[in-house]
Amino acid sequence: MNDMNVNCPDRERIFMDGGAAEWAALEGHAATCAECGEELRVWKSMSTAAGELRQEWETPRLWTRIKRGLTEQMSEKPSRLRAWLNSIGLAGLQWQTAVALLLLVVVTGVAWRIFRTGPELYSQGFLNKSAVSEVEHAEAAYQKAIDKLEAQAKPQLEPTGTPLMASYREKLLVLDNAIDELRAEAGQNPANAHLRRQLLAMYQEKRDTLQEILETKR
Amino acid sequence: MATMGLALPWEARISNQEQERGSRVGLGENPGSGLAPTSGEVRPDDLELAAACQAGEMHGYERLYSLHGKRMKSIARNLLGSTADAEDAVQETFLKVQRSIGTFRAQSSFVTWTFRILINTCYDARRSRMRKKEVTSEGTEQSPLPERRAPGAHPSLKLALQRAMEKLTDHQRHVFLLYEVEGFRHSEIAGMLEITETASKNTLFQAKKNLRTMLEPPRSQAAEAR
Repeated sequence: MNDMNVNCPDRERIFMDGGAAEWAALEGHAATCAECGEELRVWKSMSTAAGELRQEWETPRLWTRIKRGLTEQMSEKPSRLRAWLNSIGLAGLQWQTAVALLLLVVVTGVAWRIFRTGPELYSQGFLNKSAVSEVEHAEAAYQKAIDKLEAQAKPQLEPTGTPLMASYREKLLVLDNAIDELRAEAGQNPANAHLRRQLLAMYQEKRDTLQEILETKR
Repeated sequence: MATMGLALPWEARISNQEQERGSRVGLGENPGSGLAPTSGEVRPDDLELAAACQAGEMHGYERLYSLHGKRMKSIARNLLGSTADAEDAVQETFLKVQRSIGTFRAQSSFVTWTFRILINTCYDARRSRMRKKEVTSEGTEQSPLPERRAPGAHPSLKLALQRAMEKLTDHQRHVFLLYEVEGFRHSEIAGMLEITETASKNTLFQAKKNLRTMLEPPRSQAAEAR
């Protein structure tokens, strides 16, 4: 005896997830409803036909093949990569997948390291916007001071001067070339702290050299 | 009428097997394959089998083959379309099981885990074959072995169903095959495909709805078409 009341709108829900009692109630309803009767018949016949797709055939040699393969595989010394993959639980993967995973781990690690140490790196190798502005300001001040000193030292640096002045001239020439090169490079890469430090060192050296020249005059 | 050339009335195609399979045709959940209880706990004999295989004992693998080899071949045959490919896939599955046995943590049934490897192996083989464009016509791919003749179902329906199954998504095909063809429970399918039982039920429903549309439109639609 089935007391459950089932109607057409319940059909699909029962098809999807109905219990035995609901199926029985649907069968009862289908006896008096042509559309549900047809749908139920079709639904069942798909299952019936599907069940007949299950196939069995004898393969007396398949186990022998498998056994031989297993014996060979068991006797092989696992490669170091395989042993390592085994130890981290990735032995079942295809080697392409394993390599891709490994690559992903390495890239993620590098990205994480950059992310974590980013601020330090910036402070050591790269300058932020305000630091670049500060450095440029300092360089401009050095340049201004150097121009003043150069103007004062110009008479002493005339080619007719002493051998000491000749060597100072050469030194200044070398410093000017270095400064030009560094400025060109710093122009292309203004946030490069290393270039900026070298440029400042050159400016300091030139300033010190010019001050030495002026002091020799006194 | 888009019936893929089938004009037979459905009544004529339903076999007497329906009564034989009454418990699983339409009347709720499959009785199951005996792989694992519905609760998901692991059976002792399953653990024994896993332990034997983990210890590298050949009799463990032999028992696995004798218990589940037939069903493994059937699944692989239905997924790959040829008996030779199916046997290769089963062999490859055993080799993969041996290679990966160290990673088996008994969180699921060992046999379910093995079937998962089989399905993945078939999926890889199928994908690789499609990449190589080695897929030949169905006629040349069919098993040369004599097919088991169904007592009642019309052969055209079986053929039409096989063709229609090819048009399902891989996921729908896997669920339909495992439930309707191989008789696994949704809990077992969930373990094999790493989905929830609800997802397995939903996918089966969608697969059957799609197949139903492909095989023969509902009468109401056919009447509207007229």
